[in-house]
Amino acid sequence: MRIIIAGCGEMGFHLSKLLAKEEHDIVIIDKDQDVLAQADILDVISIVGSATSYKVLEQANIKSTDLLIAVTESEETNMISCTIGKHLGVKKTIARISNSDFIHRKDAFDLSSVGIDEVIFPEALAAKEIRKLLKESAAITTFDFEGGLLEFIGIPIGKDSVLNGKSLKETNYLNPDNNFTPVAILRDVQDVVKNKTIIPRADDIFEASDHAYFVAERDGGIDRVLALSGKKQYNIKDLMIYGGGPMAFVTAKHLAKKYKIKLIEEDRTRCEEIAAAIPNIMVLNGSGTDLEFLMKENLEYMDAFLSLTGETEKNILAALAAKETGIKKVIALVGNIEYIPLSQNMGVDTLINKKLIAADFISKHVKKGELLDLHSIHGLDADVIELKVNENSAICNKKIGDIEFPKTAVVGGVIRNNRSKTVRGDFVFENDDKVVVMCLKESKKIVQALFR
Amino acid sequence: MKFNLKVIINIVGILLIVNGILMLTCLPFSFYYGESSWYEITISSIINLITGCILYLLTRSRNKEEKNIKKRDGYLIVTASWFFLSLFGMLPYILSNQIPTLTNAFFESVSGYTTTGATILDDIEGSLDYGLMYWRSLTQYMGGMGIIVLAVAILPFLGIGGMQLFVAEAPGISPDKLRPRIKETAKRLWIIYLSFTIILFFILFAEGMTFFDAVNHAMTTMATGGFSTKNESIGYFDSPVIQYTIIFFMALSATNFTLIYFGLKFKFRKIIENEEFKFYIGFLIVLTLIVFSTLYTIDNTDIEKTFRTALFNVVAILTTTGFASADYTSWNTFMTILFFLLMFFGATAGSTSGGVKLIRHMILLKNSFSELKKQLHPSAIIPVRINNSVVTRDVILNIQAFIILYIFLFSMGTMLMSLTGVDFITAVGSAGSAIGNVGPGIGDVGPSETYSSIPTTGKYILCALMFLGRLELFTVLLILTPFFWRDH
Repeated sequence: MRIIIAGCGEMGFHLSKLLAKEEHDIVIIDKDQDVLAQADILDVISIVGSATSYKVLEQANIKSTDLLIAVTESEETNMISCTIGKHLGVKKTIARISNSDFIHRKDAFDLSSVGIDEVIFPEALAAKEIRKLLKESAAITTFDFEGGLLEFIGIPIGKDSVLNGKSLKETNYLNPDNNFTPVAILRDVQDVVKNKTIIPRADDIFEASDHAYFVAERDGGIDRVLALSGKKQYNIKDLMIYGGGPMAFVTAKHLAKKYKIKLIEEDRTRCEEIAAAIPNIMVLNGSGTDLEFLMKENLEYMDAFLSLTGETEKNILAALAAKETGIKKVIALVGNIEYIPLSQNMGVDTLINKKLIAADFISKHVKKGELLDLHSIHGLDADVIELKVNENSAICNKKIGDIEFPKTAVVGGVIRNNRSKTVRGDFVFENDDKVVVMCLKESKKIVQALFR
Repeated sequence: MKFNLKVIINIVGILLIVNGILMLTCLPFSFYYGESSWYEITISSIINLITGCILYLLTRSRNKEEKNIKKRDGYLIVTASWFFLSLFGMLPYILSNQIPTLTNAFFESVSGYTTTGATILDDIEGSLDYGLMYWRSLTQYMGGMGIIVLAVAILPFLGIGGMQLFVAEAPGISPDKLRPRIKETAKRLWIIYLSFTIILFFILFAEGMTFFDAVNHAMTTMATGGFSTKNESIGYFDSPVIQYTIIFFMALSATNFTLIYFGLKFKFRKIIENEEFKFYIGFLIVLTLIVFSTLYTIDNTDIEKTFRTALFNVVAILTTTGFASADYTSWNTFMTILFFLLMFFGATAGSTSGGVKLIRHMILLKNSFSELKKQLHPSAIIPVRINNSVVTRDVILNIQAFIILYIFLFSMGTMLMSLTGVDFITAVGSAGSAIGNVGPGIGDVGPSETYSSIPTTGKYILCALMFLGRLELFTVLLILTPFFWRDH
């Protein structure tokens, strides 16, 4: 696929890196030569110029490009770039926006009428993920397929977990309705270098402090999985959000109806803006790293602490401090991907990264035929992919037991006619089935070939 | 400080001409009823017209620069206009000798223009000719929507300067513009006002009022003024339909005209979402129930009549109309106190009603709650919201200043009134009623009494309070400050 990425900021750079690795042809456009210089290490073409200039876009050969992703800091630039790009003949456009108005009011302004096919609003995507993490408070990772019919979910195995010390075979009885499938185990989570991703087979044994990942059906399956961790699923009601930037703002707005929120921001003017824009939350003017202040505002009675400022270091620090006071769920926004394992080691259980979330979203639109969806889970050396069976697929109309599936891949679940199924050995693939597969990076190509 | 005296005098002149022309509309009634006072009315009108013409012609100017109205000019124009209109508006009463003393005539005139509805006439039917009764109602009608709003609507040259005048006269916190241009806004306000008056006239006429009574009551109801052509006020018309009609139109006139405009454009959402309107309706219902249940314990013979009396008096006082259908001071002490306190509420901003206005109470109450909450959370930022938008600190401070001044002026007024020799309850009641532009008070100025017993000095004090109340304190007070007259 030929892809133009407008804007070489954090998001643009990360996307380029990711997509270039997947062997797409990437052209990056940015106004700033110095910023663009960092893209030299990637296998891409870079063009200095404005993403809204038709000359620059033509220079990037927009006519024969499949996808234009505009992810500059400016919403307006992104939208205009997509409009011009579409006019010049690009097949599909994605614009990054920072204003939910464009999503909510399709009747007032249909973006496709100005050539914008898809919008990406990273803050809103992250807020959605946070909401899910709060709802399934025992989970560490979660995302869904086909509008939630199947869900990928990761839980930590505690000492009290029923799975602790048992093999997969031995725990079969815990899954009487067969509505979830264990798809991966992450061992030695704390050790960044030595940790290992295991695609579990019948004899593999769960250990305490493992992270176990499952694909579960929405109805029934998720609750079962959450119960397995040995940690009690607790209800979250009171939240404290640290930060008043775009991420914190969108999250607070997103969660304001469901939770009682205290939002802490250092800048008084910003506090007033937030308080004006979001009713029903309490905005406090203070520092989220000032423990004495937080205690006065009953930090210890909070069910969850979300540290969402623009500064990664502050977020981690505040999250750790909150964890120290005994808060059950602590989520931190981490900008630097390299910090993720580090902060997990220090005890922040859940981390949010806008770049990863955005990349996840974009990858849905960068399809390679049978590939419908792809998620990378940080820490796991594996990908979760969604593939579609077609008439010519090698596996079409075959029993799952008869297929030579690589040992490092496992089928998590199948969606057929808008209904989810988890599979057993006698399952037969049919045309148009959508299959969720967990596979180590090395076996991804082999799996994809089976569906081609 | 230099003022644009030319424009100020010019506009006062024009308004006097308008006043004089409107005065002539009394004549058909004078002739119809064969009254000799047509002569004095005509003389009064001519005095208005001549004075107006002289002022206008002397200060006429073709120079655009000289027509520029600055903020200070605006405040001075509004205050001067109201004062001179009241002064020249009392001429028919004096010249016809039907309200012979200057004090009484001026009081009646001020009470009219400010839509207070307080009267010094013990026997309206006996002492006033029909032509003069009509004039009395007409002054209220002019004052209801505001003479400046009228001027802005009809005078072609009041372009940009019109906004200055509009702000200085408009009731409420900030004038809502119905249209981008102030002239168009003023026009629409007057058209709505006029149309409803005509509708009300036809309804009242159909319900059995005489032509004359229907005209007068239609005007004074829409203006939430409260002058009646009968000594017993609305109590004279012992007809439930008439009373319910007047209740409805009093309540309507005390509704923000911007909302009425939206209603006429079928934008009901805006009305339903308006917090002040919801509070207004809710407040009316609760008060009516309280008064009704109290009255019911006193007299439970006729439930419908008791209910109607409760509703009528609550609406009449809350909207600051001041019509009476019964004497609320005669029921019990609780009722007297309740109705006295009601004088300090007023209805909604942007309507023809007087008083403090509910929105100011709502904002201050909400602010008080947020201050309470801040005791627990000292660093919390808790904005005060009305209609889902945040009320800025400036507006809250402005309202606080307004209420403090209101209480201060009421207290000063009460003390000065007591110095004139009236008793405690009368002093409190008359001052509260005058500054709120209500009309009836408590004590010797209750609904079944008049202001004739108030001493001369007391009447002038009340006149001052009525002006202050109608122009919402700031406009008049500003002119009394030294810095208004200085450059800095």
